[in-house]
Amino acid sequence: MAAKQFASMFAAQVKMMFRDKQTWFWSVFFPVILMILFMIIFGGGGSGNFKATIAVADPSPNASSAMLLEQLKSIPVLEVKDEQPVSIEQGKEWVENEDVDALIVLPGQEGVSDVGLYVNRANEAGATTQAVSSILNTLVQQANLSAVGATATYSVSMESITSAADDVKYQDFLLTGMIGLSVAQGGLFGMVEIVDMRKRGLLKRMRMTPAKMGLFGLAGMFVRLMLGIIQIVCLALVGVFAFGATLHINVFSLLIAFIVGALVFSAMGYLFSSFSKTMEAYMGMANIASMLMMFLSGVFFPVNTLPDWLQIVPKLLPLTYFVDGMRDGLIYANGILSSTFWMGIGIMSIWGIVCYLIASVVYKSKSIAATR
Amino acid sequence: MPVLEVNRLRKSFGDVRAVEEISFSVEPGEIFTIIGPNGAGKTTTLEMIEGLLPPDSGDIRFGSLTWVKDEDRIKREIGVQPQSSALFDLLTVQENLELFATFYPHARPAAEVMDMISLTDQRNKHVKKLSGGQKQRLAIGLAMINDPKIIFLDEPTTGLDPQARRNIWDIVLKLKQIGKTTILTTHYMEEAEKLSDRVCIVDQGKIVTLDTPAALIDRLTKEREVRLSFLDGATAAAETEQAARQNAAVVRTELEGASLKLWTTKPEETLYDLFGFTKDKGYRVEQISIREMSLEDVFIAFTGKEWRD
Repeated sequence: MAAKQFASMFAAQVKMMFRDKQTWFWSVFFPVILMILFMIIFGGGGSGNFKATIAVADPSPNASSAMLLEQLKSIPVLEVKDEQPVSIEQGKEWVENEDVDALIVLPGQEGVSDVGLYVNRANEAGATTQAVSSILNTLVQQANLSAVGATATYSVSMESITSAADDVKYQDFLLTGMIGLSVAQGGLFGMVEIVDMRKRGLLKRMRMTPAKMGLFGLAGMFVRLMLGIIQIVCLALVGVFAFGATLHINVFSLLIAFIVGALVFSAMGYLFSSFSKTMEAYMGMANIASMLMMFLSGVFFPVNTLPDWLQIVPKLLPLTYFVDGMRDGLIYANGILSSTFWMGIGIMSIWGIVCYLIASVVYKSKSIAATR
Repeated sequence: MPVLEVNRLRKSFGDVRAVEEISFSVEPGEIFTIIGPNGAGKTTTLEMIEGLLPPDSGDIRFGSLTWVKDEDRIKREIGVQPQSSALFDLLTVQENLELFATFYPHARPAAEVMDMISLTDQRNKHVKKLSGGQKQRLAIGLAMINDPKIIFLDEPTTGLDPQARRNIWDIVLKLKQIGKTTILTTHYMEEAEKLSDRVCIVDQGKIVTLDTPAALIDRLTKEREVRLSFLDGATAAAETEQAARQNAAVVRTELEGASLKLWTTKPEETLYDLFGFTKDKGYRVEQISIREMSLEDVFIAFTGKEWRD
C-alpha cells in the first residue's frame, strides 16, 4: 500500500516536473547559458593563459640589444608585434592606439645604458603592464648579473601543487562552481511548490484523503535529486566538450556532497516556504539568499579574491562548503579521507538541521491555519 | 439511522464567532443543502465536518465514527470537492484520478468515474487545458474516486455558465440515484430548489430554518400574489378592483394604472370570480400572472437580506 502510493506519487511528480517548462529553463538551460558566458568572458577563449603583445624598438643595434631581443622573443607569454624591431615613433603610436600593451626600447650601446618601457597611461596600473615590467626587470637584472660575471645567490623555484593529475584550470573551477550553484538553487527555489500547492488548496485537498503527506514530500525529494543529476550531467557535458574542462571524479565524495547539499538547500527552501504567504514572497527570499551566496561562496571566483574583511562570510555560508564538496568529488578526486571535506559536510548539515527545525516550529505554530 | 449527525457546533476565530450553534442530521441517500449569505459560516461548518478544523465545542458523528478515534476510516468514507477545485494542473484527467485512487485502499476504476462525469473524451488532456465546468466535474470525480458514502460539494457550480451548471446537476442527481448522500452548499437558489431534499438556511453562524424546499415555501405565507392588466385601461382595472374586494379570499389589493395586484389565499376561486366579472363587463384582460414563491423569498423572509447571486 505505502510502496504503491509512493510509486504513484513519485511518477506523478516526475511527470509534473518534465511538463513544466519553467523547471527546464531555470534548472538546466539558464545555468548552462550562465556558465558559457562566464567561460567566454573569464576563461580566455579556452586556453586560460596570460598573453601580452609588445613592440620592440632597437634604435642602434648592438650586441646587448641583440641578446635582449632574442630573450624577449623566447618568452612564450610575450608576443612581439611584427616579429622584428620597429622605430620608436611607430612603437609609440601603437602604444597610444593600444595596438600593443607595451613598447620596449632596447639599449643604445653596450655597457651602462637604459632599457626603455613605454605603456599607455590608461593601462599603467593594469595587470598586463605590471607583468610586462616585471618580466623586463628580471631580464635586465639577469643581464646585469652576467655583465659583472656573477651568478644569482637566490632563485625562486616554482611548482604548482594539487592532488589531481593535472593543474586545475579556470574551466574546471567554474564548471564545478556552476554545478554546485545550480543544484543548490534547485533546492532553494524548488520548495516554492509547497507555497503553490497551499495557495491552490492542494495541500488541504490531500489532507482530506488518507494519503501520507510524508511520502509525498519524500517522493518530491527524490524527484529533485533526479533533476540534480540531470543538471550535473548537462553542465559537465558542456563544460568538458565545449570548454575543455577536465574532471577527476571521486564517486563517493561526489555522492555524499550531492545528497547532503541537495537536502540542506531544500531545508532552506522549506524554511522560506514556512514564512511565505505568497509565491512572490518566497521567490524574494530565495533570490536574496541565492544572490548573496552566489558571489560570496567561490562559485565564479576563488574566495581568496574577496577583500580581507569579507573573508569571514564565505566561511559561514553553506554554499561555500557545498561547492568545495562538489570540487572534491569532481576535480580533486579526493574528499572522503580529508578532514576539511567532513568539516564542510558538518557545517552544511548544521545549516540544514537548523533550517528544518525552525520551519517545523513555524509550521506547527500556524498549525492548520497554515494550510487554509 | 442518520449517516451524519452534527451537534451544537461552535467555532470562533479570535473575536469573530464564525459558527455559534449548529446542529442537524443527514439521512442516507438525501441531498442536503446548506445556503446562506457570504460569511454566514457555511465553509467553516463544512471544514469542521470534513475534519480540517477542530470545533471549539460540539460533536460530529458519521454513524458511530468520530474524527478523534476514526480519522482514517472517516476519510475513506467521505469524498470532498472543495471550493477551489484543487487539481494537479500538469497532470491529465486520468492521471489525477489514478493518483488520488492510490491514496485509498479501495478505489473505483478511473474509467468508471470518467464515464460518470462525462470526461472520457478529455481523459488525456492536461487539467490546465480544461474549461471551468470540466475542471469542476473532475473535482467532483476526485471526490467520488474512493466510492464514498457521503459526498461534500462546496459551491460546485459557482462561476459556471448555465449549460455547465446543468451538467453538474445531472451528476448530483446520478449520485442520488446510486444511493449516495450529498451535502451541498450553493449560491444559487434555483439549484437548491431543484436538487435538495432538504435545505438548511444559515445566517450569522446559526441555522435559521431547515426543511424541504416545498415546506419552506409553504410555510412562508398562505397568500399568493396575482397580477392582472387590462387592455381597456384604468377604469377597467379600478372596477375589477372593486369586484375583487367583494371576494372573501382576497386580503389586499393594489391599483396602478391599468394593472391590478391582489393577494389571495385561494387564487383559483378568486380568479374564477374575477373572470366572471370581466366577461360580463366585456373587459379584455391583457396579462395575468400568479407569482411563484421561491426559496429566494424564503431566504429574504428569514434573513431579512437581499439575495445576491
